[in-house]
Amino acid sequence: MIEDLRVRYPGRDKLALCGVRESVARGEVIALTGPSGCGKSTLCRTVAGFVPAVVPASVSGTVHVDGLSVLTEDPARVAERLGLVQQDPEAQICTLNVRQEVAFGPQNLCLPRDEVDRRVDEAIAAVGISHLLGRRTTTLSGGEKQRLAIAAILAMTPSTIVLDEPAANLDPDGAKAVFDTLRRLRDNEDRTIVIVEHRLSPLLPLEPRLVIIDRGVVVDRRTSRHHLDLAELGLRAGWGPIRTTSPARPKPKALVMDRVTFSYDDRPVLDRLSLEVRSGEILGIVGPNGGGKTTLLRLAAGLEHPSFGRVTRTRSRVGFVFQHPHQQLFERTVAAELRIDGVLPEDPVRRVLHDASLVGLADAPPLSLSLGEQRRLTLVSALARRPDLLLLDEPFIGQDRKNVLWILSRLRAAQERGAAILLISHDIPLIATIADRLLFLDAESIEGTTAETLARLAATGREAYTPCYWEGLDDLQSG
Amino acid sequence: MISRVDDPKRAGLRGAAPLTNALLLACFVTAVLATPGVTVKLAALALAVGLAAASGQPPTRFLQRLRFVILFATVLFVAQALSIREGSALFTIGIPITIGGVLAGATMALRFLVILTSSLLFVAVTDPDRLAGAITRTGIPYRYAFLLVLALRFAPLFQQEMRTVRDAQRIRGVGPSFTSPRGIVRAIRYTFLPVIVSGLTRVDSITMAMKGRAFGRYRDRTPPSRQPMTAMDGLGFAATALLVALVILSRRFEWP
Repeated sequence: MIEDLRVRYPGRDKLALCGVRESVARGEVIALTGPSGCGKSTLCRTVAGFVPAVVPASVSGTVHVDGLSVLTEDPARVAERLGLVQQDPEAQICTLNVRQEVAFGPQNLCLPRDEVDRRVDEAIAAVGISHLLGRRTTTLSGGEKQRLAIAAILAMTPSTIVLDEPAANLDPDGAKAVFDTLRRLRDNEDRTIVIVEHRLSPLLPLEPRLVIIDRGVVVDRRTSRHHLDLAELGLRAGWGPIRTTSPARPKPKALVMDRVTFSYDDRPVLDRLSLEVRSGEILGIVGPNGGGKTTLLRLAAGLEHPSFGRVTRTRSRVGFVFQHPHQQLFERTVAAELRIDGVLPEDPVRRVLHDASLVGLADAPPLSLSLGEQRRLTLVSALARRPDLLLLDEPFIGQDRKNVLWILSRLRAAQERGAAILLISHDIPLIATIADRLLFLDAESIEGTTAETLARLAATGREAYTPCYWEGLDDLQSG
Repeated sequence: MISRVDDPKRAGLRGAAPLTNALLLACFVTAVLATPGVTVKLAALALAVGLAAASGQPPTRFLQRLRFVILFATVLFVAQALSIREGSALFTIGIPITIGGVLAGATMALRFLVILTSSLLFVAVTDPDRLAGAITRTGIPYRYAFLLVLALRFAPLFQQEMRTVRDAQRIRGVGPSFTSPRGIVRAIRYTFLPVIVSGLTRVDSITMAMKGRAFGRYRDRTPPSRQPMTAMDGLGFAATALLVALVILSRRFEWP
């Protein structure tokens, strides 16, 4: 039960949440959504008791979970009733071993060892990571870590689970496993589930109550899936038809990989991978977490060298947008960041910031921006150098529909200028609309035009890698 | 293509109890501090590398991880050898290099090397969660014992973060320049600012992750199961006994 909740962060003029009221019944499923930076994560952290106990802020109003007033309680006590799965999987892992990580919460509850073991086994099975038992957490991929984080919360058996974009870093199979897990929890256990998600279609089978928040205020509530136009609500859906054509004339090769093999220490990642990317072509890359997608981009950029085979780049200017934007932001202000290599003068900086929905942030420290804003800043920084080869690792994470459309427009402009683009994304309907060719990177890699690759994935039973699963399209070729 | 292999074997000291490894580490440190010459230190260094090999750490990779330690030890040796002039001169390079200087340099460099090498061995072979459990059993509150787990959890993460930040600098053409004071300041800022900010952000996130799983809710927590003594503990005890014997013999017979 949330009553008139207001939250203001130190040094900020605007309220992050202004007068939120909401009542959630036991066993209810809530899909919380809205544009980037609208206050969803703040709401999640506040109901979990972390604001203001851990994250300083001035807070007024009341929040009760199972009768406990969370705003004045120790979050460790709230954790017995409500579990929060955070957005960043890396930052929420506390131990070095998968089993220890899931056992961490039950051990803190001082449960008997047998009960701890039982909960660990159940939670690990629920999210489908039994094969990871015994692994060191530092060796897991982002998606594997996210599933581990969910298992760690499930092992606490809270009555309410709050998940802040739990599928953002997951491969389609991993995301499907999470949504299936949530469905099982709803069907078999009387748990309340609150899930923050930009992509609502896979949540619809859970029959959630939709709560839409904008600029810190609940602006809409929907209880029926009928008459629900997700795109109209500003959410990530309805991207358009799958791309079926390649550029008319073959252009020069920008990148050639010939039987490239790569391992980290004794861990094989890529095995005799061959591909070509031409100027003005967008190669979409999809596949399971830990499948070597990021390594492929690092090899293309020359940051890694193959143990066997050859990587040939015919163009020299490389732009690379990392998955974690903070790793490539160095300057004191956003404007200085854009001028770091002397590419952009003053006026274009302001125009670029306006285009990227970063208006008014020119003098802000880059690392104080939200993750979505940081990603857009790293993208415009990379584009400012007019790269011939543009490498993008999950640029759509944390972006709402408006910002996704802006990113797509920038990519198309770079493509028309002749840049070769390698784009990693787990958002299958989205990547299907922009990629000329699609590479599915796994033990058995599949590469072809986007339509061909999707058809082969569908034929081999990988339904989570088809737009139909995510957007409910009737036919792969339909719009 | 994508099969991953973790070494499940608990070879060598990996299979020993955390307190056995802690006792051995204490013996290494005591041995190099309690003996004046280089003989025991050389033997201790060889023992540490040998134990690492027996515990599944190939000597080449283990020594590679120590390369900066070895570099610093070499600097210590040279500085001592150049600055201390005791005993007869071995040779002259503008200034005389004496036996006393060489021995003092070797002693300091080996002391540094053995302490760092045995510490690295300890970190490599000890399960921090079990160590925290063992420490808790001695009566120290688990909140403090767990700090060790966190330190070990984040050390490789920050190493990885530093590497990625340097890669990002290379891509953007703003790599570090050490040719001017301004370049050095910029290099430090560009490298450490993202890593420090990332670290501070992680402090908040990890606090939330721990509190969010009831860390600190109760005075006690379920301890990990006790690790029974194995033959590998025998290896640890044998190494400990060897070090003690070397120290006693060294002092008794005044080994150099």
